[in-house]
Amino acid sequence: MWNGPLVKIGEYRYEIPKNYRGISGNLRMRTSALIYASDDMISSIRKDNAPEQAANVATLPGIVGKSLAMPDIHWGYGFPIGGVAATDAEEGVISPGGVGFDINCGVRLVRTNLKVEDLSKEKIKEIIDELFKNVPSGVGSKARVRLNKIQLEEVLEMGARWAVEHGYGWEEDLEYLEENGCMDIADASLVSERAKERGKAQVGSLGAGNHFLELQKVANVFDEEAAKVYGIEKNQIVVMIHTGSRGCGHQICSDYLRILEQAVRKYNISLPDRQLACAPVKSKEGENYFKAMACAANFAWANRQMIVHWVRQSFESVLKEDAEEIGMHIVYDVCHNIAKLEEHLINGKKRLVYVHRKGATRSFGPDRKEIPAKYRNVGQPVLIPGDMGTESYLLKGTKESEEAFGSTCHGAGRVMSREEAKRRWTGREIARRLEQKGIYAHPASWTVMAEESPDAYKDVSQVVNATHGAGLSLKVARMLPLGVVKG
Amino acid sequence: MYKIVEHTADVGIEAYGRSLEEAFENAAKGMFAIITNKSKIDNIISKKIEIKNEGDDELLLVDWLNELLYIHDVEGLVFGEFDVSIDEKLVAYAFGEEYNRQKHGYGVEIKAVTYHMLEIKRDKKGVKIKVLFDI
Repeated sequence: MWNGPLVKIGEYRYEIPKNYRGISGNLRMRTSALIYASDDMISSIRKDNAPEQAANVATLPGIVGKSLAMPDIHWGYGFPIGGVAATDAEEGVISPGGVGFDINCGVRLVRTNLKVEDLSKEKIKEIIDELFKNVPSGVGSKARVRLNKIQLEEVLEMGARWAVEHGYGWEEDLEYLEENGCMDIADASLVSERAKERGKAQVGSLGAGNHFLELQKVANVFDEEAAKVYGIEKNQIVVMIHTGSRGCGHQICSDYLRILEQAVRKYNISLPDRQLACAPVKSKEGENYFKAMACAANFAWANRQMIVHWVRQSFESVLKEDAEEIGMHIVYDVCHNIAKLEEHLINGKKRLVYVHRKGATRSFGPDRKEIPAKYRNVGQPVLIPGDMGTESYLLKGTKESEEAFGSTCHGAGRVMSREEAKRRWTGREIARRLEQKGIYAHPASWTVMAEESPDAYKDVSQVVNATHGAGLSLKVARMLPLGVVKG
Repeated sequence: MYKIVEHTADVGIEAYGRSLEEAFENAAKGMFAIITNKSKIDNIISKKIEIKNEGDDELLLVDWLNELLYIHDVEGLVFGEFDVSIDEKLVAYAFGEEYNRQKHGYGVEIKAVTYHMLEIKRDKKGVKIKVLFDI
C-alpha cells in the first residue's frame, strides 16, 4: 500500500508534487510525476509501490517534462511498468530500467478479408492447431531455423528487413511496422556472444508467459472513418501477435545493467534506487547501451516477422487459398518496451529527447512523419492486447498525446499473482470457461493457462477508457478472441 | 531448502544453507523448480561451470543464476542437483538432463535474475538468500 500524495489536477490526471520527499524522506524530485487514471482506478494503483517508482524516475538527471505513468501502471524493475520518461538528448541519461528486460516486446495486427461467418468452429480449431504446430511456443521454445553467427548479426542490424529478404513475408509489410522494423543505430559488435547464442536458439518463437497469438473478430467499431483507413470493419477476422526479443533481449538488458551500474559510480550519479542504473546519453556506456538495445529491438521485429509468415502459411494450409487472396496484410506493429530518440514540441519549442517507454505504446497523431503515409491523416494505429481470452483494442494516436511525448497505455497488468491464480483455478477450468464463451484455446501448458486467467488481470477496457478520456489515444475498434495459442 | 515466493507480477525464492555454497545450490534448485513447475529432474548430464569471483556475493549470486539460465536457454538443459565451491572463483557441477515438454511440463519462463530486494544474510544457523526474477 502506497500512501504518498496524489493530487487530482484534471480529468484523468493525478500528480505527485515535486516536493514529495519519498518513503525515505530524502527524495529529490527534479519534476513532478503525473499518473493518468480514472478516479476509480486510484485505489488499485495505490496497492503496490509503483507510484513511488514514478516519483523515483523524476530524480533522473536531464529529465524533460514530467515523469509519466499510464493507467496500467504497476510495479516494475526500477521504472514502473506503464512508465514514460523523456531525457534531454545532450544532457540526459539513458536507463535500461526504463525499457525493461523484454526489449521491444510488442504487438502486431494482421487483417484478413474473412468474416466471422466464413469460419466454422471446426475451421477455427483447425487454424489454431495449425498455428500451434507452426509457431514454436512455450517455455524453452526453440527456433525452427538455426542461424549461424553472421546471419544472427544481420538480424540484429537489419531487423524485419532481414526476415523479408529471406522469404519471411512481403516487401510491403515493412511499411506498416514502427520504425519500418529496424532501428538503424544498431551495432551488433556491442552485443555479447551470450546474447547472440540465446538469439540463435530462439529466433522465430513466441515464448511463454503473457505472450500469445490470437485469432480475433472485430466486435465493435467506434470510429468508422479511422477503421476504414486501417482496413478494419465489424465482424472481420484478424490475427494478433504479442511477443518480444526473447532471451536475446533479456541477455542484452542483463549485460548492460551490469555495465551501467558501474557507470553510475563513474559519472557520480546519485539514485534513489539501484535499479534505475543509467549513464549519460553522450557517454560511451550510454551510447553503447542504446546501440545494443536497438539490436534487441531489431531481433524482436524479425521475430514477429517470421511468425507472421508462419501465420500466413497456417491459414493457407487450412483454407487452401493464398494469403494474398485472404488479404492478410499487416495493419501495424507497435513496441511497448523501448527507448527512442524523438523530436517533441516542449514549451512551444522542438527538442530532441530520448523517450523511455516501459509498458507504454507510441501514440503519434496525424501528420507525424514517422507513421505510414496511408495513416497520416488519422494518426497511427495503437494496438492494445488484452490478456488471453479477454478483449483487445485498436486505437488511434492523437496530437494531444504530445503532452505525454506521444505515448499511451500498453495493456492490462496483473492484479493477482500466478500462485494465487493457480490456487483458484485449474487450466482446464479456464479452457472450459473460454469454450463457453466460444473461444478455443491451445495452450502449451495447462499451468500457464491457469496462471494467465483473465481474472488475474486488470480490466483492459478500464485502462483503454482512461487513455481515451485523457485524450492520449482514441478508441477505433474492439476485438474478441475466437481462438488462442498460448505460450 | 528453498521456498518460492510470489508477488503480484513477479516470482522469487528464499533459499537457505549452512554455508554460502549450500545456499547457492538451493537457490539454483528453486529456480529450476519454478521453470519446470517442480517436476522431477534426473541426473543424466553434468556440466562444469566456472565464474570469476569479484568479492561481491550478491553479484556472484546473480552471475551464477544467470549462467544457469543461459545454459538452459541455449542448450535446452534443466538441472536438479548442484555441487558448488566458492573461492577465488566459483566452481560448480550442475547435474540434470535435457528439458522435455512431456516430462517436465511447463512452469514459468524466467527472463532474468534481478537485483531487486536481493539479500544474502548470514547468522548462526547459516546463510539465507532472497532473490527475485523478472518473468
